[in-house]
Formats: sequence, C-alpha cells, structure tokens
Amino acid sequence: MNYHQPVNIILIEDDEGHARLIAKNIRRAGISNGIQHFTDGTSALAYLHEAPDGPTHNGPALILLDLNLPDMSGIDILGKIKAGSNPLKRTPVVVLTTTDDKIEIQRCYDLGCNVYITKPVNYESFADAIRQLGLFLSVIQVPDLPEADG
Amino acid sequence: MRNPFKDPTLSDRWFNRLVVGAVALGFLLLVAVGIVATSTILQNQHQARWVDHTYRVHRVIARFGVLEERLEAARRGYLLRDEPGLSTTFQDTAREIEPIVAELRRLSADNPRQQANVNDAAELAREHLRTLTHSVALVRQGRRAEAIASFNTDESLPLIRAIRKAANRMTAEEDRLLAIRDAEQRASLTLFFVTLTLAGVLLVIVASGSLWIIAHYTRSLTRSRDALRLLNEDLEGAVRERTIELQRANEEIQRFAYIVSHDLRSPLVNVTGFTAELETATKRLARMMDRIETQAPGLIDEEARLAAREDLPEAIGFIRSSTQKMDRLINAILRLSREGRRTITPEPLDMNALVQGVADMVRHRTDELGIEVTIQPGLPNIVSDRLAIEQILSNIVENAVKYLDPDRQGWIEIRGRTEGSRAVFEIADNGRGIDPKDHERIFDLFRRSGRQDRPGEGIGLAHTRALAYRLGGTINVESELGRGAIFRINLPVAFMVDQGTLA
Repeated sequence: MNYHQPVNIILIEDDEGHARLIAKNIRRAGISNGIQHFTDGTSALAYLHEAPDGPTHNGPALILLDLNLPDMSGIDILGKIKAGSNPLKRTPVVVLTTTDDKIEIQRCYDLGCNVYITKPVNYESFADAIRQLGLFLSVIQVPDLPEADG
Repeated sequence: MRNPFKDPTLSDRWFNRLVVGAVALGFLLLVAVGIVATSTILQNQHQARWVDHTYRVHRVIARFGVLEERLEAARRGYLLRDEPGLSTTFQDTAREIEPIVAELRRLSADNPRQQANVNDAAELAREHLRTLTHSVALVRQGRRAEAIASFNTDESLPLIRAIRKAANRMTAEEDRLLAIRDAEQRASLTLFFVTLTLAGVLLVIVASGSLWIIAHYTRSLTRSRDALRLLNEDLEGAVRERTIELQRANEEIQRFAYIVSHDLRSPLVNVTGFTAELETATKRLARMMDRIETQAPGLIDEEARLAAREDLPEAIGFIRSSTQKMDRLINAILRLSREGRRTITPEPLDMNALVQGVADMVRHRTDELGIEVTIQPGLPNIVSDRLAIEQILSNIVENAVKYLDPDRQGWIEIRGRTEGSRAVFEIADNGRGIDPKDHERIFDLFRRSGRQDRPGEGIGLAHTRALAYRLGGTINVESELGRGAIFRINLPVAFMVDQGTLA
C-alpha cells in the first residue's frame, strides 16, 4: 500500500532564500512530490511526530535538514529522528549545510544521516546536487516494499 | 614586599659609606697602634741600654775606689815590711789607675756634671799617687824612718778620704741618673702596656664591627635571594596565568571567526543562487528579444534592448565576481580558524630533508624561471609540528618565487642556525623586495604590498605568522624595495605543548 503513496519532502530550513532555491531545483529535476517547509526546529518536530498528515502517521518521507536553525541545532533534530525508539528512524535524512568541516560531517553520519550536501557558493554544483535527489527519491521507495507486504 | 632590584636609597648609600669608613678607620687605628707599640719597644730598648750603661759606670767607679784603697794598703804594708811583692803590687795597681780614670772619663762624656766629678777624682788620684810614690821611693832608698815620719804628716790620709768622697759623689750622680732612667723605662713600659690594651680593645671593636657588617650583608643577601626566588616563582605563575588568558582569548577568536564565516556564507549562497536564477531568466529574455526583433522589430525600443543585452549581463557579471571574491575571503578566514584549532603534534624533524622537500615542491617553477635555490647544509634540527613548519616554509618560498624580479637572475637561499634554545631559519631572495613601511602590514590578513600584478588574497603571510605564533615562534622580514628580502623565522628548538599560546 505504501508503494503507491508518494514520498513527502519535508524541508527544514530557516533561510527562505535557500528554501526557495532548493524547491525550485527539486521541481526543475522533474520531482513533483509535495514539499512541506518549516523554518524552525520546534514546529518541524511537531509536524514530524504529531501531525495527522505527517510521516509518523501518514506515509514515507524524505527530510532535508539544515544544521543552522534559530531555535535548535540541526544535529539535535537529526539525533532525535535517528534515536532507537523513534518510528521515523528509517526515514532518510539529507543534511544540507554551508559548512564543509570534516568533523561536523562525520558527526552527522555517525548520528545516522543518509546524505550530506554542502551548500557551495558555486550555484551550479548546488543545483546539481539537489537534482540528484530525484534519483535518490526513487531509491528510497524500495525498502518500503517488504514492509508493505508484511 | 621590598624590591631588591631597586636602586639603594640615599640613606642606604650614606649608611654603606659610614660603615665602610668606620671599618677603614678601625684598621688605620690598629696600624697606628702597631706603630706606637713598635716605637715604644724600640725606645724601651734604648733606655735599657742607658740603664746598663749606668751600671757599668757604677762598676768602674767601684773598681776605681778599690784600686785606690789597694794602692794605699800596699804602700802601708811596704812601709812596715820591705817585701818586694808588695812593691810589685803597688806598681801594678798604680799602672791600673790611669786607664780606669780614662774609662770613667769616656763613660761620663755625656754628663758634664759627672765629667767635673771625674776630673776632681782624677786630680785627687794623681795627687794621692804622687804622695804614695814618693813614700814608696823613700823606703826603696832605705830611708824607711823618713818615709814613716812623712806618712804621719803627708796628705795621703785626707786625700784618700777626699777620693772616697769623690767616688761617692760620682756614685750618687750615677744613682740619680739611674733613678731618672729607671723612671723613664717604667713610663715607656706603661705606655707600651696602655698601647697594647688600647690595641686589644680596638681589635675587639673592629672585629665585632666587621662581623656585624658581614652578618648584616649576609642577612640582606639572603633576603634579596629569597625575594628574588619569590619573584621568579611569581613570574612563572604570572606567565602561566597570562598564557591561559591568551589561550582563552584565542579560542574565542577562533570560535568567532568560525561562526562569522559560517553565517556570512549563508546569505552568500542566496546571492549566488538568485544571481544564477537571474542569469537564466536574462538569457530567456534575450532569446525572446531576438525572436521579437526578427518577427516584429517595431515592438522593441532601444532601452529595453540595452537592458536585456548589456545592463543585465554586466550587473550579473559584477555580482558574480564580487561574490566569488567574498567566498574566497570567507574560505580564508575559515581555513585560518580551522588551522588555529588543529592540534599541534611535535615530532623530531630533519630540517634539511624537510626544506629539500619544500624546495622540490616548487622545483618545476624554479626550473622554469631559472631560479637558483641553495639550501645551507647542516640546518639545525628541531622538534615541532611537521605540517605547520612545511606550510610556513613553503608559503615563504612560494612568495619568493612569485615576487621574483624579472630583470635579474633570481636566487633563493635557505639557511639556519641555533641561538641558545631557539632555532633561526632565514629565507633570503633577490626579488623585488618590500617597502619597509609595509613590513608589518604584509602579515595582516587580506593586506598586500607593492604592485598588485600577481594573484592572491593576502592570506599566505597572515597564515604563516599565525602558525609561527602557535609553534611558540615569531616571523619577521628584513627588506628594501628592489633589494630582495630576508624572512626570518625564530622557533623554539623543542616545542613544548604549553608554548604555542600566542596564535
């Protein structure tokens, strides 16, 4: 049943401009999945865990997460989502941030981040990276198959 | 706490002078007492000689009296019995009188009063001898009765009495002298003992004074040493405290630089992103213009055409180059802050090999430009962070290659030496040089000097200096425009972990 459900894209990004650019490039890549945008961590977490149309209660999702948020660090959000007891722990998370600090990148992967994309100032490579997500989206639907059968 | 390094105060100086003066005076007095004592002893010896002399005179006077008595006795005996032995005794004794009198005269030459007495005695003795000789001669001629008769009437008896008196006078005179000389000798002895006592007292005073001064100076020396040690320990503590403060400030700056560069990047992503969007849109517009121009040229006015074809692309071009530059600057700050947070891992470094490696890295450029690179053999080896040292050296060597003077054959020389616990490395070149007013400026971030005809952001030397500071070292430059430059890196021979504090 999940197989037929579209993957919701949840974008957690405080910078409106970045969010707009990300959304534009996702559309340009030919991805028409719904995009939910949140500019702070608290409301994003509330939606993820509690909203009736949110991923916990309603279908698969892909989370695009910025690390610099006004109310909390993206790393905290990542830790919460990937915690052992969280029903969302298998939800793929793509971390998007401006830093290319190796230690921070490693930390994100340790916490369970699936993809790490730096926002380069070179816009073309940024747009490319976002468009690659289109491929990624088709891949993440696969693990849901056995679950649907079971 | 008293400061032991302070100049001695005025009262201290006066006190020191006083003490030195007192000690010197004490020793001078001791010397004077010594001289007085010596002269007293010499005087005493002199007086003893005179006392001795007096005794000798006494003896001679006594001898004189005895001779006179014996002469008298011999004559009387001879008058009574004609014995040739008695005559011989008389003759022998009479011969002795003259030398004794001469001796007396000689001995009393210093005393006119005694001299007069001697003369009297001599006169009497002569008279007496004459009388006696006459009497003896009468006996020898057989006129004994005549001689005995004359004995009763002659002057010999009163003469001998007079002689006795004269001898007594002389003795009395000598006794008087003896008394005077004795008194003098006693006085000089007293003086000697007084001097000796004085010397003893002085010695005790000077010795105790000297001891007190030594003790005083020893005490103040000990105090100074203790104060110095305290100060030293304080200094180490102060340095440690300052180091911790600096480290904290440094960490804060690093964090600040990191956050700033991060937060600056975020809006920059927007600027570049939407500029790209604008560019795409502009291209579409331009294509649209082209189509309209061919199909309905009347619809386009000049302004719209210029805006789409020239103004928009130009504006976008400037925005792009500026954002790119800004990105480079932010990256530089990020790199510096990251470098500042990197852990320094000291290890023993073979500097000759390391410098050779740095030279090899720029070999293709130096070969191409014909630059001669010389590395002084026997560079001092140090214990430090390999990566940081490599970065410092390669930065400076790259600069030397970059700012070559094209008008002359280039050379770069790398040399080193140790100065105590520091190692000094110099990278000298004959390039275009740096104006002395820029010598500090070139080590600032984003600052450059001279003709801006080479690519660069003004980051290398700032980075180099930050690294040198982190390694507990310094870096400076010695140069003049057109005369080449010498970059001098001063590093600790062995890096201590808490030494790299000034980054």
